[in-house]
Formats: sequence, C-alpha cells, structure tokens
Amino acid sequence: MAESKEEVDVLVQRVVKDISIALKRHPNIDEIGLIQCPEARYNRSPIVLVENKLGVESWCVKFMLPYVHNKLLLYRQRKHWLDREALVDITCTLLLLNPDFTTAWNVRKELLECGALNPERDLYLSKLALTKFPKSPETWIHRRWVLQHILRQFSAVAHKTQQRVEAEQPDAERSQFLGSHLDRLIHQEMKVCSDAACRYPSNYNAWSHRIWVLQHMAKGNIKVFRDELSSVHPWVSMHVSDHSGFHYRQFLLKELLNTELSQSLSSDSASTVFCPSQHQSNTVHSTCPQANGELSLADAACRDRLTTVFKLFYQETELCADLIQSFPGHETLWSHRRHVYYLWHHWRQDQDLCTDGRENELKPTCINEPDGSQGRSVNRHKHVSVPMEVDRVSLPDHDSKRLRRGILLPNLLTLQNEHTFVNSILNSCCNAEQNNYAVAYKKWLDTVISAQSLDI
Amino acid sequence: MMSAQLKDVIIKPDAPSSLLLDKHADYIAAYGSKKDDYEYTLSEYLRMSGVYWGLTVMDLMDQLQRMNRQEIIDFIKACQHECGGISASIGHDPHLLYTLSAVQILCLYDSLDAIDVDKVVEYVKGLQQDDGSFAGDKWGEIDTRFSFCAVATLALLGKMDTINVDKAVEFVLSCMNFDGGFGCRPGSESHAGQIYCCTGFLSLTGQLHQLNADLLGWWLCERQLPSGGLNGRPEKLPDVCYSWWVLASLKIIGRIHWIDKAKLQRFILACQDEETGGFADRPGDMVDPFHTLFGVAGLSLLGDEAIKPVNPVLCMPEDVLQRVGLQPDLLS
Repeated sequence: MAESKEEVDVLVQRVVKDISIALKRHPNIDEIGLIQCPEARYNRSPIVLVENKLGVESWCVKFMLPYVHNKLLLYRQRKHWLDREALVDITCTLLLLNPDFTTAWNVRKELLECGALNPERDLYLSKLALTKFPKSPETWIHRRWVLQHILRQFSAVAHKTQQRVEAEQPDAERSQFLGSHLDRLIHQEMKVCSDAACRYPSNYNAWSHRIWVLQHMAKGNIKVFRDELSSVHPWVSMHVSDHSGFHYRQFLLKELLNTELSQSLSSDSASTVFCPSQHQSNTVHSTCPQANGELSLADAACRDRLTTVFKLFYQETELCADLIQSFPGHETLWSHRRHVYYLWHHWRQDQDLCTDGRENELKPTCINEPDGSQGRSVNRHKHVSVPMEVDRVSLPDHDSKRLRRGILLPNLLTLQNEHTFVNSILNSCCNAEQNNYAVAYKKWLDTVISAQSLDI
Repeated sequence: MMSAQLKDVIIKPDAPSSLLLDKHADYIAAYGSKKDDYEYTLSEYLRMSGVYWGLTVMDLMDQLQRMNRQEIIDFIKACQHECGGISASIGHDPHLLYTLSAVQILCLYDSLDAIDVDKVVEYVKGLQQDDGSFAGDKWGEIDTRFSFCAVATLALLGKMDTINVDKAVEFVLSCMNFDGGFGCRPGSESHAGQIYCCTGFLSLTGQLHQLNADLLGWWLCERQLPSGGLNGRPEKLPDVCYSWWVLASLKIIGRIHWIDKAKLQRFILACQDEETGGFADRPGDMVDPFHTLFGVAGLSLLGDEAIKPVNPVLCMPEDVLQRVGLQPDLLS
C-alpha cells in the first residue's frame, strides 16, 4: 500500500489513467460502483471491470480523491498547469468519486466550448455518475447544460442549412438527420431518468429533469407526451409510493390537456360553420362542404380531441382507483387523485365559462360509429367550442353513450361520484392509514373544491 | 391485498428529550478544526454554506465568540472573484448559493465592508434573465432557489431596487402548483425546500398576499407524521431539515399553530446525539452541522427560550437582522 507522497502520486496517476483507458476501451460500461475492500490485497490495479460494470476498490479512494481534488484546484488558481488531456482525465476521476464538485463540471464545460471535448462524452460520463449518485444535483445541472449546448449546435446547423436552401437546394437529408438525432437524444434522456428513478425513490432531480427535457426538447410534440404517458404507466403501477413519478403523470396530463384544448379552440375559430340540425354523414373524416351545414373536418377533429381528453381523464381516474384499492394506505395515490380531479374540475369550469351560461343549448355530441352506422346528431351552438355538459345531459339512447372509439362518456368524475368512491373505500376499509387518507380527501373535496365551485 | 408500511420513525423511550446546548456548541467548535478529514475534502464544494450553518447555530446559541472571526473574514475575502460573485472555497467557481452564504456570515460579524459590496450587487443583477428568473451562475441553470438567493442577498445589502422585482415575482408565481406549493421550475413538483425559498422570496419582495395561504398551509401541515417529525413531500421520511423548511414556511404564512408543536419538538430533540453533540436527520443517524443548525433553529421557532429568536425567512438571529435594519413580512 502506498505511503509516501511520491508513492501516492504514482499510484493515483496510474489509477486515473486506468479509469480513462477503461472508459475508452469499453464504451459499453453502464454502471460504476465502489468495491468494499479496506486494504490493497494484490499488486494490481484497484480498477475492476466485470460485465460492463466498472468498480473501484474502496481502499484507494482516500488517496485518489484528495489528490485529484487538489490538482484541479491548483490548476483553477493558475498555480499548476495541466494540459487538456490531463484535465479531461482528472475531472473524469474526480466526478465519478464526487459528482457534486461543481467546479470540475465547469472545467469540462469550458473544454466543451472550445471543442476539446465531445458533448456525447459528457452525457456518458454524467450517466455513469448517476448510476452511483442518482440524486446528484450538479450532475443533472451539467446534463441540462450539455443538452442546451447540443441544441445550440443543432440550431446553428439548421440555420446554415436554411442559408444553403436559399442559395442552392433543400438539404432534406440533413434536417432529417437532425430530427432523428433529436429523437435519439430525447429517448436517451428518458432512459437515464428512468434508471435514476429506479435507483432512488421519489427522485426529485431525475423527474424534474425529465420535465425539463420535454419542455425544452419536445415542446408541442404531442406524440412524445402521449408516449411518455403510456410508458410510465407500468412504472407508476409498480412504484405506488413514488410521488415524483405520479407528479410526472400530472404534468403530462396537464400539458396534453392544454395542447388538446388550444388545438380545439384554434380549429373551432377557424371553422365558421355549425351544424344546426340532425345531420347524417357516412364518415366523419370526409371533407364536407360547409355551406349546406355538413360536418366540417375541423369539427370532427375538434371532437376527436375532446374524446381524447375524456379518455385521458377516464383512464387516469380508473388507474388511480384501481391502485388505491389494490394498495391501501398510500398518500401518493390519494394525492394523485386530488390532482387529477382538480385538473378535471378546472377544465370543466373553464368550459362552463366559455359556454357563457348557454349550457342548455348544448346537446350531447355523438358521431358515427366506425362501422358506418348512421343517425348520430351533432348540435352545436355557434362559437361554443366544446360541448361540456357530458355528465349532466340525459342521453337520448344507449348508443349515443359511445363516442366513436367506443368509450363511455366519463360521467364518473362528478363531485357526487367522488364522494361515492370515498364512501365505498371507507365502508370496506380496515386499514387505518387508508381511512385517514380517504377522510382527508373527503375534506379536501368539501372545502377546496366546493369553495372553488362557489367562486365561479 | 398489500398494506402499506407507513414511512415514519419510532422514537425510542430513551431518546434525548432535553436540549443539550453545550454539547452542540462543542461539536460545532471542533468541526472546523478537522480540516484534513476525507469528509471535509468531499464537502469542500459547499464550504461557504457549511461555515454559515456552523456560525449561525453558534450565534443562535450565543457562542459565536468561540469561532475564529478574522480567519473566516479573510477566507471570504479570498473567495470573492473578479466578477463580484463568491465561491464555496478558494479555487472554486463563484455561485449565487455561496454568495448569499458569505453575505449572511458577514452580517453575523457586522463586517460587510470586508468585500466589494457593489460588485456583489452587480453579480446578482447580472444573473437575472428576461423572464425574471435567476441563473445560479454564469452557466445558466434556473431554479426558484436562486431567485431566493438573489433577493435575500440584495435585501441584506439594502439593494433590492437594482433588479426587476416585478419580473422576478412573476417567475416565482409561475412555479406555483395546484396544491399551493412551489417547485424548482414551472411545472415541477411541490417540494418543502422550494416552498421555503418561494415563501421567503415573496416575503422579501412584499408579495405574500399572492399566496393561497390556506391551501399551502394545508399541504404543509400534511407533512407532519405520527412521530411528530415533518417530511418534505408525501411518503418521504421525516427529517430535521424538512422540519425547519416546513415550519419556517408555516411561520411566514402565519399558520404555525396548525401543526402539533409539542410532537415536533419531541422529534427534533430525539435527533440529538447525546455523546458527540449535534443533530442528525433522524433519531440515531450521524450528526452534521447542517442538521444541527436546522434542529436548533426549529426549536427556536417553536419558542425555546434557551435559544435566540430566529428569523424564519433568512434563518438568522433576529438581533442581527435588527442591526441590518431588515424586517421581512410575515402573514398574521
């Protein structure tokens, strides 16, 4: 075991090099870890590589960390010169041991900015650091910076492409490449977030990073949001205490709702026609001449989006109810129920305001079955964008209870039905915590929701 | 059917139940002298905040004179950079987090003139973005914590008018959630630490009326667990530091009486280490200066008269803020 300063220097330099070489030679390393080993047992490197896992024997860390730490700080104070390669290697070792050392990430940002380091390498290094330190705030912060750096490079390339378009000809291949590169990046981020979420429960930094990625890299890309909602479904079902995972679903629901709503409103204002009476049409998607009151494409699209919103809420409420019943006594699930109901309640109220008290004129929106059967009515008031009174209207016949995709209208989400749900839980409950959360939810409905209903 | 195990701790009957102030003062006084410790190297990236935690808890216990004033002031001077910002330690990069800690320490010592205050103000001002938010440093990370750091620094320096306060408020309010709480950025989950920063921010900017205090108070009270301790989010374990952030937020919004104070006091006291001194996150865990400050500050807010009164917004002794001439708003 190394003792003198010189011996320590030699040892540490060798290990720093070993780590750097291991990462270069084995690009598939997917996890780092510490091997509990208080003393050096053999005359061999403390770096161990087994099946894509890079381990560091713990005895060497107390030599390594102070050495690389001091070396970097001396460089930062301009008391000791390090070339770029040495900086890359030293910061790599330092950050794998102590990923919240902000200044070391900053040194790498400078190397990235001057082109001495490839951004992909830092996405990889930070991914590895997160396998051992899944919460590390500075690692997530650095990742966001690197992603923004890449996005800036994208937009610079796109700008150049556009200039070329003006000068020569479209470079479709290039923009397609950028698009698929972005898709790959988003996918990679989701994977990194998922892994970190599995390694530490209610991992605030991982889930808020995931939200950041959607906000900055998938803005308005409704497909990505929908895919995310499906992909985290099994995850939350298996992590019923993970409040951050459920909050992510709430975020997705809200964003999908806003997107669907804004598209509904814009398509509605674009469509000046309304269908005043019983109208028969073979297919909703046929482009109808507007002058004779036929259903326009925009109207149909609007209704499709409403169907989607109903479906989202219906499925989320069902998921939540199932989990509450299967896993009694989880505060997270009850908190999720509050949020979902709150979103629904406010969406409803917004719609009520839109309809400006003319709700009686609204009739249920029914459209053709996919099999082409006819006889559904569409009755819309002009400028009334979305028929909302789905849970109070009396539906003319049982067929009309089905929207085109065969979904029941979500008349489950009334305040009364929420109370029925809570009462059924209370009546069948033999778990003290479940009982407390159910009572608290009831109280929340009675005070927060009722008070907000009175405001309107 | 599976039944959930409630995430909480059980306080043993022999857990400490009285405040061991002398032990805590000895613990903090000794902590700074172990500079070759491996752990000390590991935590150097946040040293300035560590010094603030240690000195503030010493001042709250009226033991500040035991710390080496000159050494600390020289250290802070050496950490101020050309841009005006202050770093966690010598050779590290400047950041808003450590700029605030340094300014807080200098207020404790009544020595703001040790650094170039005008440059600090320029640094903070330069980090405000067009949307009103603040970056933590020149690399641009945005977080409501940094909005708090910025206004707290400027409030202590009496220079709040140098930034666009309206825009700053607008950004923080855009991070408010349906439960009345706040997250790190718009759309992020409510978190007791972020809520503390945002209510503190709204207090310092005179905008507490923008809160839904009843709704937020509701969420904060639900953080109390049967052990009496408070957690930072649903289904997390209770923790002394969250006990401070939740309690201070409740104090700021005038609803501290909504929780069971006696049970919380019992939880905090049980987190003391009778042998080494200091507080841990939970009973029986390892102590550290961070939890020691928030344990003592929490007990002060709960009315323990052996400790100086603490200000809930800045987590500093009230007498220091009186000297600075700063009285952040509280809701009644």
